[in-house]
Amino acid sequence: MDKIARIDMGAQGGPKVTVGPLGEYAGLGGRAMTSLVVAAEVHPLAHPLGAENKLVISPGMLSGTTGSMTGRLSVGCKSPLTGTIKESNAGGQAAQVLARLGYAAVILEGKPTTEDLYKIVINKDGIQVIVDNSLKLMDNYPLVAKLRGEYGDKVAYMTIGSAGERKLLAASIACTDPELRPTRHCGRGGVGAVMGAKGVKAIILDDAGMKMRPPVDPDKYRDANRKFVEGLRKHPVTGEGLPAYGTNVLTNVLNEAGGYPTRNFKSGQFENASDLSGETQAALEIKRGGSATHGCHRGCVIQCSGIYNDKDGNYVTKQPEYETVWSHGGHCGISDLDTVAKLDYMDDNIGVDTIEMGVTIGIAMDAGLCEFGDDAGAIRLMEEVGKGTPLGRVLGCGATVTGKVFAVERVPVVKDQALPAYDPRAVQGIGVTYATTTQGADHTAGYAIATNILKVGGDVDPLKTEGQVELSRNLQIATAAIDSTGMCLFIAFAILDQPETFQALLDMLGGFHGITMTGDDVVALGKKVLSAERDFNTRAGFTKHHDRLPRFFYNEPIAPHNQTFLMKDEELDEVFNF
Amino acid sequence: MEHEVTGLAAAETIPARCDKVALGIGREQLDLFFPLLQRGVAVQAELGCPLRELLCGQFGIPGDYVEGRITTIFLDNHPVDDLDRSLIREGSRVTLSAAMPGLVGATMRRSGFYAALRQGISHAETAGDIGAGQGTVRLKLFNLLLPELGPLILARGILLQRDEMDRLLGDLGLGSRDCDTASESCGGGAGGGILLRVTVGN
Repeated sequence: MDKIARIDMGAQGGPKVTVGPLGEYAGLGGRAMTSLVVAAEVHPLAHPLGAENKLVISPGMLSGTTGSMTGRLSVGCKSPLTGTIKESNAGGQAAQVLARLGYAAVILEGKPTTEDLYKIVINKDGIQVIVDNSLKLMDNYPLVAKLRGEYGDKVAYMTIGSAGERKLLAASIACTDPELRPTRHCGRGGVGAVMGAKGVKAIILDDAGMKMRPPVDPDKYRDANRKFVEGLRKHPVTGEGLPAYGTNVLTNVLNEAGGYPTRNFKSGQFENASDLSGETQAALEIKRGGSATHGCHRGCVIQCSGIYNDKDGNYVTKQPEYETVWSHGGHCGISDLDTVAKLDYMDDNIGVDTIEMGVTIGIAMDAGLCEFGDDAGAIRLMEEVGKGTPLGRVLGCGATVTGKVFAVERVPVVKDQALPAYDPRAVQGIGVTYATTTQGADHTAGYAIATNILKVGGDVDPLKTEGQVELSRNLQIATAAIDSTGMCLFIAFAILDQPETFQALLDMLGGFHGITMTGDDVVALGKKVLSAERDFNTRAGFTKHHDRLPRFFYNEPIAPHNQTFLMKDEELDEVFNF
Repeated sequence: MEHEVTGLAAAETIPARCDKVALGIGREQLDLFFPLLQRGVAVQAELGCPLRELLCGQFGIPGDYVEGRITTIFLDNHPVDDLDRSLIREGSRVTLSAAMPGLVGATMRRSGFYAALRQGISHAETAGDIGAGQGTVRLKLFNLLLPELGPLILARGILLQRDEMDRLLGDLGLGSRDCDTASESCGGGAGGGILLRVTVGN
């Protein structure tokens, strides 16, 4: 990864490709690359869908190597949904292929002056930008099928569906999985709308003739990777729970804790949660000839995904994740896994974020567009999004827009991005992260649960209330660093409990780059990324007053614990004091 | 509209006399009980004791398994940190889970590093109105613990309503003729029901 490609989509005479050295971005990958480029090069007051915005695509620092779990791809820009800086990442094959082609980043700049639609082909011979208006308004599944006819099955595809072309604020960018299904999405923040605004429908990544990226110290890297994989396999979460049930194993537990937001955050428990649980889902998938264990990219040993078939054994979608099952399930009062799976397929096909869309449909239900628990009604609303009707465009622009259009008071967003599947009144600490993250409400922004090993900011007494602010800060720093490596965040569980597995990760990074890495280096990287993101947001007009949860979390107690969100504003303001 | 998940229903208290049913199933049929076990079943228990005593002393779960495997425990919807200071009452809802993914999964862990993040809902023992003697608690098993603890809990016996029992036998492809049934004293309060003991073969 020794070069950066810049594609000026608005250049006179048509798109212009420039490939250059890394320069000041040397050594970066993933979120570190996307956020530092956007912070340095995008005007903070730029219109997110305008020529001044940039879409930065970057594999992780270890992507394209033989290392396990290294297949996360980061996409960054100024978000049309939140107005903040945005990094959205996904699995799939794209990161591995792009990294093997040698690109640390591909940056889409400018804006076409015509209505033409483009596809970009990147292979060992270079980059081609080709007009292909036959792809207009195709959704992701038929789009990828058509592209496979032309470019075959030994490539990776990044695509947008009709939602991205329509520049809907919930639009995602799909990355194909090993079976070439467009199931892995850079979902959050409307990054698909930015790709649509650049006039780019598809990016075809072909690494034929390229080799794995070689480590500087192959023996050290191989040995560290072996220990890292051993650590993942022996841990009960990464070696047993996630492979058996996927992330949806959380449904039962969150419901039991009273932290499962139900019917647009009116209750913390859903009476039919067990019908939606990961345990129920996995049993159904196996019974129907699908699978409860599947990797989203080659080299994954956790295998937290799966294949969801219908009752006749036909493929419907990949295994819906916990957040998806919640947003389209309990949040909407729906308890039928087949309905959730259909909505998950529609999200992937149209190209929208499953969290944003599920939350939005719940708000639409609150507004009376259909009843909570109305399966057919929820599907009908999604069909409106796919057709691009006026109602569908409103819904496809997410929770905030829909709440305003239909005068709904209870709109669970921070910085206009929908909250994920954990009620901050029950789990107060995650509310701190929701409120203060640079990305808008995001459960993964404070996910890297290794702060006890990293000692980010010193030791914290976990039994004291004031520890929550410090924990959130430390989690956000650690997560920013992990997001830069290209590593799947789920490695965090093994790192939390097994210091030798964390050391193996450091040794992988060190062995690959020929340096010695310490926890302090990881912390410094995380702080650098977060500081740049925070600075961008400040220049874009965001203040501490945007680091708050919606008022209903402070005013409406939630069952069964009858709690409100209790963190003081002054405490929230301390999160970024580092 | 508020939807509250209720705890132990009145009909689930231990009947004075009940049908004790013994059933033998194959290992491959065990997963038919998982929906029931994750929704929760009523089981007999000696009240007034700490949670550790319930799990180890009464259920017979080895202590090292409780420490190492059952890392997430809820008592009446509250995450539990101290098994020795959390007491069992009539109708207590006890939920057992293995380690969970995600930050919130880690947050729910017993005495975990991130326990502060859910401090407002953590279990706090009041020690009042404990009661003693035999009663019932509602037990839920989640995820990896379903196949691992399911046989032990089923062998000890679960209390079912007659319609639940009929549904279960239907799922198993069995009828009442396949069960050994005896009507006898079960102890406890009033009401009808079945104490089902299931032996899981290889």
